[in-house]
Amino acid sequence: MNDLLLLSPEIIIAVTAFLVLTLDIIWKGDRRSAVILPWVTVAGAVAALLAVVYIWPAASDTYGIATDTGNFVPMLALDRLAIFFKILAVLTVALVGLSAVDFIAQRSPFRGEFYVFTLLAGLSLMLLSAATNLVMIYLSLEFLSISSYVMTAYLRRDDRSVEAAIKYLLYGAVASGVMLYGFSLLYGATGSVDLATIARRIGESQVSLTFVVSAVVMILSGFGFKIALVPFHQWSPDAYEGAPTPVTAFLSVGPKAAGFAVLIRVLVVALPEYSVNWTAILSLVSILTMTVGNLVALWQTNIKRMLAYSSIAQAGYMLIGLAAWSAEPGGWAGNGISGILLFLFAYMFTNLGIFAVAIALENQLGTANIDDYAGLIRRSPYLSIALIIFFLSLIGIPPTGGFMGKLFVFGAAIDRGLYILAGIGILNSVISVYYYFGVVRRAFFVEAEDDTPIRVSPALNLVVTVTMIMTLLIALYGQPFINLANSSAQILAAAF
Amino acid sequence: MINQVPVSYYLLLGAILFSIGAGGVLIRRNAIVILMCVEMMMNAVNLTFIAFSRYLDSATGQIFVFMVMAVAAVEVAIGLALLVELNRHKQTVNIDEINSLKG
Amino acid sequence: MPSDYVPILIYLLVATFIAAFALVLPHYLGPRRPNPAKSDTIESGKLSYGDARRRVPVQYYIVAMVFILFDIEVLFFYPWAVLFWDLKWYGLVQIAIFAFLLVESYIYIWKKGAFKWK
Repeated sequence: MNDLLLLSPEIIIAVTAFLVLTLDIIWKGDRRSAVILPWVTVAGAVAALLAVVYIWPAASDTYGIATDTGNFVPMLALDRLAIFFKILAVLTVALVGLSAVDFIAQRSPFRGEFYVFTLLAGLSLMLLSAATNLVMIYLSLEFLSISSYVMTAYLRRDDRSVEAAIKYLLYGAVASGVMLYGFSLLYGATGSVDLATIARRIGESQVSLTFVVSAVVMILSGFGFKIALVPFHQWSPDAYEGAPTPVTAFLSVGPKAAGFAVLIRVLVVALPEYSVNWTAILSLVSILTMTVGNLVALWQTNIKRMLAYSSIAQAGYMLIGLAAWSAEPGGWAGNGISGILLFLFAYMFTNLGIFAVAIALENQLGTANIDDYAGLIRRSPYLSIALIIFFLSLIGIPPTGGFMGKLFVFGAAIDRGLYILAGIGILNSVISVYYYFGVVRRAFFVEAEDDTPIRVSPALNLVVTVTMIMTLLIALYGQPFINLANSSAQILAAAF
Repeated sequence: MINQVPVSYYLLLGAILFSIGAGGVLIRRNAIVILMCVEMMMNAVNLTFIAFSRYLDSATGQIFVFMVMAVAAVEVAIGLALLVELNRHKQTVNIDEINSLKG
Repeated sequence: MPSDYVPILIYLLVATFIAAFALVLPHYLGPRRPNPAKSDTIESGKLSYGDARRRVPVQYYIVAMVFILFDIEVLFFYPWAVLFWDLKWYGLVQIAIFAFLLVESYIYIWKKGAFKWK
């Protein structure tokens, strides 16, 4: 298939972004842009999704695209792992775009840049998950970071939005500086920036191990920052709380997914030969991440901040899959990693759904406190039911997608004999019941001071419905999704 | 033959600059100074890349430096814009006084 | 080898000598008849006012930032210019897309009023 055709999802998203920007300039932010631009964004994302589905059969494990003058410079992988994450990215863009419609329109003056940055951030997610080259990884990671900083500061009249963005930027800039130093050492040690070549040079064992050890530690800290793994998580509660809520929804899904994509790719492609006890390191980080996330979440009074800690904990569960993979990388490599993919897929729908509910409440009430959920069952039965399903999914209780994700991730860990890790994961899930159901308890059993019904706009209703159906569907009719995750992970196993 | 300075000297200089930058980030409280320290870290990385690029006789390191320079400029531009906005709200750029988000 | 640096040393010595020469010699040779107009800061008929260390209004930061960004983007034209003949049409199309994005963002900045001096 033609190179350009293989890149069509990215091209569609980029063209849509510039179309939205141009329309925003032409219409000068009047009524038309507030009504039309969100739907242009969603249409672009849906078109990109169709393009992704179209190129799915052509995807292979061949690395890269030919660039200038016939030289083959591997920059982007077009394998199924990348395509899986592209599906995640465009769905995130579409759902975030939809749930932002009223939130952004309410806050005057309307500016179409929000949708431009949502699209560009989506583009950076797609590039990051396909990058096979340190240059490309760095560029797309920074692209994602910079779009996220701007989106976080989007409500620039609001102190908290700006403050959140500054904290995010300062942490992010330092993390990317450290990661970059790691890249430079890895480049110096192996003489290449291509992941597959790096793996080969390390395998030939003619490289200085001191360099590689320090380089890998620094690089992992950069990725850990994006995923908000525990020693590098301090930015995320502040950024999540201060950011506009649709942006928080994006931050809780997009960067995490892309961070896992690049972490998986670097670990699997570049460093498999490298004899460090990955299982111990990954298990330790995973245990720290879920425990800290869950324990701190218990004390939160702001729903966005609580969800920030909850998403830190969720990243900890996902990391269990990677630890399981590293325990036996030579075997069926799909196992732990396909668990991560399935988990991420369910997590995306669940988290975007919860944030859609939170946005609906915030649109009406103007605040985001957990106490606002009191008596939600009388004010909006539909949102209450949705809320229960989403929280069940985050805890990992059966008829929901979160259960499938945890089943596969924990199952992979038990399969490889990591009983302690799986046990701590399950223990943490039990702890999380307390704070998730704290919200549900308020919604169902606490009397509301004010019984006015919550009005939910059509766009938000669509998001809640789609995410709720998908969350249930992944569990009730899971085979296609399991197959999708498995085949995405297996192509990766065949790559080396 | 002028290129006789060993590559390790450049690497050492890069490491020292990077450490100074990282130390500055940890110690200084003025957000603008922190941004300057981050910039110093970036340039230490650039030096390392260029040294390796010369040593390995491969141009990739130089391409990387191009990208780093462009991205660093963008990052600083965003950072300064945010700081100007912050200064309008709070009349300070001291990161110890930016603490309305907590918990 | 240290001897490799001898040309640089000679160059430095010559440069220092010329600079010193150009500074010191007129001091002794030239006639000096100062008057107030001559020793003014700007000797072009425009009257100077105030202190040189004035504060620049903060609106200026937008122009400064936009300058930094566009200044840096020029960086990517240099490698293309060097390889212009090797890259042929392929490179030209690529750089055209890049330039288009730059122009688009320039128009955006312009239309948003970033250059308006309040």
